[in-house]
Amino acid sequence: MKWLTPLGKTIVNILLLMFSLSAVFPIIWMLYSSFKTQKEFTLNTISLPETWQFSNYIEAIQVGKLHEYFFNSVYISLSSVFLIIFLGFIIAYMIARFSFPGRKVIYILFMFGMLIPIHGLLVPIFIEFKNVGLLNKPYTLILPYVAFGLPIVIFLFESFIKQIPKEIDEAAIMDGCTTFQVIFKIIFPVASPVIATAVILSFLTAWNEFPFALVLIQDEALRTLPVGLTNFNGQYTVNYPQMMAAMSITVLPVLLIYLAFYKKIIQGMTAGSVKG
Amino acid sequence: MKTKSAIKPRNSKIYLYLLPGLAIYAFVVLVPLVMALRYSFFDWSGGPNMDFIGLDNFVALIQDDVFWQSFRNNLFIIIMSIIGQVGIAFLIAVLLTRSWVKWKQFHRTVIFIPNVLAAVIIGFLWSMIYNHDYGLLNYSLNAAGLESWISPWLDDPSIVMTSVTIPIVWQFVGFYLIIFMSAMQNIPDELYEAAKIDGATSWKQTWHITMPMLKSTFRVAIMLCIAGNMKVFDHIFVMTGGGPGSSSTVMAQYAYDVSFNRFELGYGSAVSIGMLALSLGLILISQIIGRGEKE
Repeated sequence: MKWLTPLGKTIVNILLLMFSLSAVFPIIWMLYSSFKTQKEFTLNTISLPETWQFSNYIEAIQVGKLHEYFFNSVYISLSSVFLIIFLGFIIAYMIARFSFPGRKVIYILFMFGMLIPIHGLLVPIFIEFKNVGLLNKPYTLILPYVAFGLPIVIFLFESFIKQIPKEIDEAAIMDGCTTFQVIFKIIFPVASPVIATAVILSFLTAWNEFPFALVLIQDEALRTLPVGLTNFNGQYTVNYPQMMAAMSITVLPVLLIYLAFYKKIIQGMTAGSVKG
Repeated sequence: MKTKSAIKPRNSKIYLYLLPGLAIYAFVVLVPLVMALRYSFFDWSGGPNMDFIGLDNFVALIQDDVFWQSFRNNLFIIIMSIIGQVGIAFLIAVLLTRSWVKWKQFHRTVIFIPNVLAAVIIGFLWSMIYNHDYGLLNYSLNAAGLESWISPWLDDPSIVMTSVTIPIVWQFVGFYLIIFMSAMQNIPDELYEAAKIDGATSWKQTWHITMPMLKSTFRVAIMLCIAGNMKVFDHIFVMTGGGPGSSSTVMAQYAYDVSFNRFELGYGSAVSIGMLALSLGLILISQIIGRGEKE
């Protein structure tokens, strides 16, 4: 018995294609519209630009200071990723390799962090940071980003390190390596596939993060891109093409990373979820 | 457990290694959690005056219509996501196993793209799509001759929740698609082969093999839907700020408004605690229901 006639199959294929296109068309629309003038855009929302001109981008940087936000985002994201990987790898190694009092509790504490909706901590963290004078510092955002990034990375690393034979560590110790050297000279390179996944995932999360950047930083000069965009929106409410240029600048690094590391990203995202 | 061995450092050394990461984590996650509980018993606007008011904040919270409205809005988004994200993603995942479906790699790659973008970007993008005069949506309706359908998508309290939910659902379909696809790969082929020999159609196979085998995946997906949508904030902050009025406020947005627009940090802490408690409660309930079904 056939459920679908050839015509039915064609229709399903077309529907699926339309769905897929709907997932990217808004992004493509944003990218090409950013090269239009405001006037062109209001005359026809959907048409391609008549002449591809970069004035929106130039203005986004000159007037909107987008390059400053961009630099802040790069600096915060990269610092966070470095610390997440460095600290997360040490913790995962210790939990995976040794038994010591409190090992279980520490692991559960970190896994708890994957479960709680961190946005519920927005207000308490603001109060705490305010009390100890940690608001509006160049390193302010790195602290929450590292803390929120650690759980998933520890989970990924821990399950990977467990599968590496312990004989490797023992041989290295015999050769006179310190524990620190075993971790970073011996095990770290072996774990490079999962580290790549962790780096990309942590970077994307930090790059895209919004509420904590909004609340913990009021100093204009320290803002990151997502919050910078909301300012931008306030200044140029009606100038959509210019706003789209600013958004495109924010999105491009992410799109490039995605297209380059498609497989790794998907692996990492699903690995974290299968835990359940 | 691999305990005492030649390579194991002393416990004190292990703790020293764990300390930096643990300290940051405790400072950012654990301490604020405890402090929020404390602040929620005070009437406090951030200044030196802190009045202990016992459970008054929580009494007020229980009677706070806007809080419960925002909770209902979270629930609305969760339910729409379970239907929209989990449902659509499962359907597409099944379709992508069919031989007659074309461009599989393209679908997989493309549907996942919105996932990696910032929620803020999605929010702005959809505000533009919904824009009354230049938006993509009204433009398309116009072009299709459906002028009567044109609406102020984000300004009409009666439809605003649907309008803000669609982008949230749309953004994460790809995530659930990937989860289902990788789970389906783990179903042994023999099951399908045996069914084929018995003459089961492919849709019967889906119903009697794929669905039951994916029970735990469904459970995880639904839990992720709940956890993810209890904290939804960015999209709504950007698209409506919770408005018009409080019609599209969600709990995180409400906690933000109370704390940073009204400067009631004590009450804002109580809202946060309420949000955390309701989230964990919902996740727990969904787990218990899921477990019960398994037996």
